[in-house]
Amino acid sequence: MLDKFSSSGDLRNNSPDIAVLGVGAIEQHGRHLPIATDWTQVKEISRRVAEELGALLLPAIPFSMSECHGLMPGTVYLKPETLSRVIKDIAASLREQGIKNLLILNGHGGNFILEPTIKSLNRRYPQFSVLMPAEVWAPVEDSPTIYETAGKGIHAEEMETSMQLYLNPDYVKDDRMDFVPNVGREFLDYAVMEEINPEGIWGLPSYGQTDKGERGIKAQVQSVLKFVEEALEVLK
Amino acid sequence: MMLTVNHSAWDFKDVKPEVAVLPLACFEPHSNYFPVGSDQIIMSAIGEAVAQKLEETTFLLPVWPFGTSGHHAGQPGTVHLRYETLWHVVRDVAFSLHERGIHKIVVLNNHGSAMATTTKPIGNFVVKTAVRQLNYENPGIRTIWVQPFAAGRDKLSELVASAKEEIHVGAVELSLLMHLLPENEWEGPQDHIPDVDPTYLEFGPFRKYSPNGVWGNPSDASRAKGADVMKIVVDETVRYIQETFDHLKEIKEDRGGEY
Repeated sequence: MLDKFSSSGDLRNNSPDIAVLGVGAIEQHGRHLPIATDWTQVKEISRRVAEELGALLLPAIPFSMSECHGLMPGTVYLKPETLSRVIKDIAASLREQGIKNLLILNGHGGNFILEPTIKSLNRRYPQFSVLMPAEVWAPVEDSPTIYETAGKGIHAEEMETSMQLYLNPDYVKDDRMDFVPNVGREFLDYAVMEEINPEGIWGLPSYGQTDKGERGIKAQVQSVLKFVEEALEVLK
Repeated sequence: MMLTVNHSAWDFKDVKPEVAVLPLACFEPHSNYFPVGSDQIIMSAIGEAVAQKLEETTFLLPVWPFGTSGHHAGQPGTVHLRYETLWHVVRDVAFSLHERGIHKIVVLNNHGSAMATTTKPIGNFVVKTAVRQLNYENPGIRTIWVQPFAAGRDKLSELVASAKEEIHVGAVELSLLMHLLPENEWEGPQDHIPDVDPTYLEFGPFRKYSPNGVWGNPSDASRAKGADVMKIVVDETVRYIQETFDHLKEIKEDRGGEY
């Protein structure tokens, strides 16, 4: 794996054919989790994936589309156009140095601008592939066997609480306020989290456990690797 | 007191930090030999030390890792943004902080150079525009920018003879890297100070003026100097920030404006 500690000479000698870019977020995660939850998770998963692929691991983007939380403190966002520009510029920089593929791992469910950005890049530059798994946070096969409340939560819930207990235990607090809204996820298109639940949680964090986080991270890495293998084969 | 991204939103509700510190870096070759993420490593250390040392309660943001390194485009390991992109990143981050009640925002605009000043930066020049527009367009916001090597320029030039002629992988930057990553090997590039004004970086690529990717005297670097560089740039940056906010407060209050 090559990363920020590698030199330009290391990169020239190893000519990686794929770069991995995690997209994190800095946003409220209730009373009990750090605002860096998404960023911490995506950094870990990106690093493990890049190691397996022998890829160039880029620094994970810390900020993304977090306006969906309203004015709750501890939230720092980029506008969708800004995130899209960042992705396009990174892709251009990789093309300029002859890297053929960019794998984007999206650590924040609200980044809906990534898909159109990637589609537009792939249509415009057929010799350069930008790949992104459809659902980074849902290893479809393993999810229900790991998480008891799979499918009921999307934010600061059992999965994220478990992953933070595993990756960042010193910063997980005890007051976990379970709340599952009686509306679909699309309500975040119509209202902000602060209005849907002032506690900032969508799901059942009380079910979070360290071992679920460890198994969940491993399952994520495996599902991403499987996706990359299939995608590169299909696109060949 | 300093909050980081490891704190929770409710910690922010309780503490209500007064000042946010946003360090910016560039992802670019540091000659053939040294880390492409050198600036991120440096700005992470400086950002944390500055945020801890400021008098106010602070919020230390993660380092934004990519800058306008177009003069290194095409070299292995360069990831550069167009100037509009970096402008929008700084604008969005600062505005989102302002919207949530943190009105004093310090942009540490990469490390800069002792050749630069607190008036005219070297590298990421658009940040100056981004900061101006934030202040002009958003009443009540107080955004400032500073480059730590520029803030410490006079003291750095007492420590390193070539400090004010260096831009990239010189003795100042390399000493600091040696101090921050003592286990690494730091052998490699030859000293090189191009015979042109650095303004020429706006007209042509870096390698045109410096085939080995160096603008400075790395042979003059040492780990001991690195510890001194760190102390100088942190102290002088904190001093600059504190004085700037104080003067700004006087100016705004004299005009009867809201502070």
